[in-house]
Amino acid sequence: MAVCAAIIGKDNSPKYFTCINPDEELGFQYKVLSSLDVVEEKLNNGTKSGSDSRELYLGLLYSLERHKIYGYVTNTKIKFIIVIDSTNTSLRDNEVRSMFRKLHSIYADNVCNPFYIPDEPINSKSFDKSVKNIMSGA
Amino acid sequence: MKKMQSLLAMYTDQSDLPPELCAKPLSLVGISGLDTLNNAIHKAIWETFNSNRRIERSPVLFRLISNSHEFPIVKPKRNSYEWYIPKGILKKNWMNKYLSEIPAVIAVFYDLDWNDSQWNEKMIECASRVQSIRAALEGRNTKIVVVLIQDTLPLPTGEDVLATERAVALCASCELNAKSLFVLPHGDHLQGYVIRLENAFYDLAKNFYYLEAKNIKSHREHLNKTTHQYLFVRHQFKMGFLNELQQDNHTAHKHYTHAYNNLLEIRIVDTNAMEIRIVAGFINYKLCRLMFGLSLPRDAISQFRSHTDRFKMRIGFQELAFEHNAWLSKQFSVFGDIFDEAVKLGLPAVQTQHPGLYYQQAAQYAIARKKSCQELCQNITSYPTPDPLENLKNIEFYGQRPWRPGKLTAEPPDPHLESRGIQALQFLETQINHSNNIISLFGFSISQYKTYRCLRMRRYLVVQMAEEYYNSGDYGKSLTLFTHMLWDYRTENWWSLLTDILNKALQCAYRTASIQDYVSLSLELLGPSTKITMDDRKEIYENLNLLINKRVPQPDLNTPSNVIAVAQSLWTKLFTSQLSGVSLDMSNILCCIDTKARFTESQYQGDHPVTVEIFVRSACLFPLHLANICCTINSVESNMVYTLESVNKPDLLFNNNDVKRFVIEFMPDPNDIEKEIQIGAVNLWLCNDNQSYIDLKFTGLGNEANKVCADFLHFRRSSRSVYKFDNLKPLPKALIVPRHSKLGLKIDHHQPALLGELYEIQISIANEEICTVENLQLDINLTSESANQTEFYMNVNEKPQHLPLLLKLNNLDPSESIKQKIYIRCYNVGPRNVSAKITYLLKAKKPIPSVKEELIDILVVKPFEVATKFFSSKFGDITKFHVDEPFIIMPVISCLSPWPIEVKNATLECSTAISLVDKNTESQVNGVTLRNGDSGTDIYYAAVFKPTESLIDVGNYSITWNRQNGEAAITQIKIAGLSVDWIPLNLELPLPAYGLVRTPLLVNYKFYNRSRHLLQLEMNMEASEAFMYAGYKQLQLSILPESTKTLQYNLYPLVAGNVMLPKLSLTVNGEGLGDAMLTQEQLNSLIERALPTHVFIMPQGKRVPVLTEKAIEVQ
Repeated sequence: MAVCAAIIGKDNSPKYFTCINPDEELGFQYKVLSSLDVVEEKLNNGTKSGSDSRELYLGLLYSLERHKIYGYVTNTKIKFIIVIDSTNTSLRDNEVRSMFRKLHSIYADNVCNPFYIPDEPINSKSFDKSVKNIMSGA
Repeated sequence: MKKMQSLLAMYTDQSDLPPELCAKPLSLVGISGLDTLNNAIHKAIWETFNSNRRIERSPVLFRLISNSHEFPIVKPKRNSYEWYIPKGILKKNWMNKYLSEIPAVIAVFYDLDWNDSQWNEKMIECASRVQSIRAALEGRNTKIVVVLIQDTLPLPTGEDVLATERAVALCASCELNAKSLFVLPHGDHLQGYVIRLENAFYDLAKNFYYLEAKNIKSHREHLNKTTHQYLFVRHQFKMGFLNELQQDNHTAHKHYTHAYNNLLEIRIVDTNAMEIRIVAGFINYKLCRLMFGLSLPRDAISQFRSHTDRFKMRIGFQELAFEHNAWLSKQFSVFGDIFDEAVKLGLPAVQTQHPGLYYQQAAQYAIARKKSCQELCQNITSYPTPDPLENLKNIEFYGQRPWRPGKLTAEPPDPHLESRGIQALQFLETQINHSNNIISLFGFSISQYKTYRCLRMRRYLVVQMAEEYYNSGDYGKSLTLFTHMLWDYRTENWWSLLTDILNKALQCAYRTASIQDYVSLSLELLGPSTKITMDDRKEIYENLNLLINKRVPQPDLNTPSNVIAVAQSLWTKLFTSQLSGVSLDMSNILCCIDTKARFTESQYQGDHPVTVEIFVRSACLFPLHLANICCTINSVESNMVYTLESVNKPDLLFNNNDVKRFVIEFMPDPNDIEKEIQIGAVNLWLCNDNQSYIDLKFTGLGNEANKVCADFLHFRRSSRSVYKFDNLKPLPKALIVPRHSKLGLKIDHHQPALLGELYEIQISIANEEICTVENLQLDINLTSESANQTEFYMNVNEKPQHLPLLLKLNNLDPSESIKQKIYIRCYNVGPRNVSAKITYLLKAKKPIPSVKEELIDILVVKPFEVATKFFSSKFGDITKFHVDEPFIIMPVISCLSPWPIEVKNATLECSTAISLVDKNTESQVNGVTLRNGDSGTDIYYAAVFKPTESLIDVGNYSITWNRQNGEAAITQIKIAGLSVDWIPLNLELPLPAYGLVRTPLLVNYKFYNRSRHLLQLEMNMEASEAFMYAGYKQLQLSILPESTKTLQYNLYPLVAGNVMLPKLSLTVNGEGLGDAMLTQEQLNSLIERALPTHVFIMPQGKRVPVLTEKAIEVQ
């Protein structure tokens, strides 16, 4: 199960942020923001090498003492970040990848909602619920 | 106290890695017998050995050994380990012993030449030296070699019989084998010899270390796993270390790995936890460093990871948890060091794997250490007596507690002693400045992250560093770091992080009584984007109000009382000393108040007031009261500040989401005319009395950070006024243009201008201003091209003037006027744009320069067109002139001008090729007035004398004309004529004006031969229905040169009317001479132009008109 998930806009501002333990949110925000360094680097290098543009999953960004941070970026440069506890061995690369896919799909659904203003932070309850579901691996 | 400090120093050393561990192991070679102080040669030799040790030299460390040197005593050999129980893992003195005390090789230097006169004595002395060294090394396997320092160069081996003999003798007396004897000639090439010697020593040293390692390996069989676990580790470590000395890093790596694995097999209990941990750290250090050296960075990293993972949870004594964290922190920082060292030696690191990560983790553990120290040691206030750490210096093994050295794990510790020891350590821990340590680790990490382009992570670390400064009480530094980091978080809209930093920085600002920062941070915290609770907001707002009223703001609830006291004294000091107040630059801050300012227009006239609209929007939830608003206008020369005048107090009170508009009006400076002015700043005054103020300086452009995407802005639910504010486009620049003149400028002229005429333009200037006008100057210029085809005249009779035309005019009193005429003459058609610019000074209190400019568009057209026609004397069309045949020139003037034109005079000036038949011909168009569409025809009768192939030039036709009441102009037109031909024959047929029916009409055809040759022609007269005639019908004509032949015909008209005459035709006689001169074609055209074709025949009246007689007379 993931401990934190974030959606970050193309201007690198947070659009959605959640974590299992609300007390740790600040720390996670710092970490997630810091991990954008790696995302940016990967995006810059990715275009050079001409890698498969359909591959949105960026893989492991940071492997810290306590957490592992994974990244995923859409073609419109919306970034998804998932943080997983380092001790959690049940989540492999594939599981994380599928979590990202689900997250991307519900994000796309949310953007389609006419009442959502693009580029604004997301604060829909049902979206939140779906994200929590994805994080818990359901 | 001193003792305490030394203890503290030792205590901190304890967590560091010992220098002997970190030193790069080098084979140790002892040098004996060199007197470096008194003997220059010896000194040179020693220096060659010892200095300039570059990378390509062998990894050897030289040491001078005096004759009386004492080497460590060899411990008695143990035959069996059966009853031996080791007291610890690694002895503290062992590594040092091999690094610096026990040389692998000892070289005994001795001055002795082969042919020395006292050979025998010296040989014996040398042998005795060797013996004494050997004795000192009793029991060690150190190799001894002898180096003879010689003056003479050695001969090639085998040639010097004496040398060979004496060498054998020397070896025998020193009990050395022949390979241990070296010769060093100290003359030239000392360096080369030394390097060769060095390599020889190094080989011997490697052999020594190999044997030492082998010796240790042989102990293995005596050991058993139950009691000698420590020894397994120790021996493997020693072998590894010796292999390292031998520079065999692969084998060293293998032994260290064994040592590490053996160590892991030892059961950890409270008493040995620290020892195992520390030794594990040592071995891990060696392993990682070796692996980096062997280009196995991945292995090094994974070794380190498994090492830390394994030991992370093995805390040991709960009471000394800080020790564990210190150890972990050290592990990470040391690994960072090794990693960094490897990177400096060329290892490529990547963004996700670089030394910074480890320094960062080290800092985290250092923080954890500090926390556990604060938890565990808070009650420790004194150092226990008797000192349980007395033994610290003399402890035999690494990582053992000083109060129970060498105690075996099985023995139960003395609880009282234990607790005192723990208390001592806890006390020492409290004495440590943790923050410095943490901050320096953050510093390392920050610089690494910066290198690997992780700017956000770097920022995060800086924030953490600032927090640590805050914790350590250095609020100033903390505040600086925080405020520097704000900007980046602001640009990326991470509001909760921004809020967090703002809050912390606010506390720093409070504690350092930094009023600027306090106000700007408060204003930003009160802004709409920050994520703080309503209560906190309220508190900040109230504090801000306190500050505005020059009272000390309230501290945060958690602030310790001593800090409050310090802060309050700082604030009061500030309030008493500071008179000037604070100015804050709000340009980069997402303040709760925002302003936008704009000029209402992009251009202002010099005498009109400039209007600046200032919109102020408050996003603060609580009412904000401004003292005043002012606006700085920058121009090229000056910066002016305009303050809002006469504003009602309620207007300056802002509730949440209020948007208010203020207007500042001012007269522009005359110096700024034609220049740009811009809004430099908008200043809002939060409090404004004589002594202090809080002045917030805005750019007037608004906070653009909120603007995610302008298009989406429309979807937001916001009030009308806020929406308007958001969409307001600032206009920060305006141009000051000269004032709009009130001078009446009337330009009178009659379009269009005619080509070549003096076109009159009358400019009348009337002063409609209220003041007198001075320095009046009229400036006429042509704005379009073709300036060279246009002439300007001030006066009809003067010469043309150069452009621009400058006219200084007299001063004008109000309602006076002045008139000025100018003339233009254009030499080609097309439009002309003439600008008339009047500059003047308005004679007011302050002279105001003014400008009035008008453009005059003038179209230039042709007044008339002249087309010239040529006719034969019979008004027949001709295509050629003929010599001696006069012709008619008929210029037709068609008037194109819309204005009537009076032709005063027209003359044709003939060219030399032509002459008028009547010299005194008067022009027919003189005095004629032509209106548009009229044409006037002139006529001239002229003749030519010479034949030409080309068209001849008839001459210039010049017309003097004027428009009504206008000035006369002369237009000259060149008339081109036709080519001139000459033919030898001339034909004439004089006819009466008319004939009468049935009345004979006598006509004479006259043929004239102009040439000097005989002309022979065949004439044929056709029959005609209208006439009967008498005369030749067909005739061979022969005309003599320069004579006339006349053929008479009596025509008898039969019908009345304009009747065609009988047709005469001529043909060139083929036999005649004339065919060269006269062609049939010429002949035909001559007939056509010279002979009339018709004659008018009147019907016969009752009586014969008198005119008939006349008609006959003509013939």
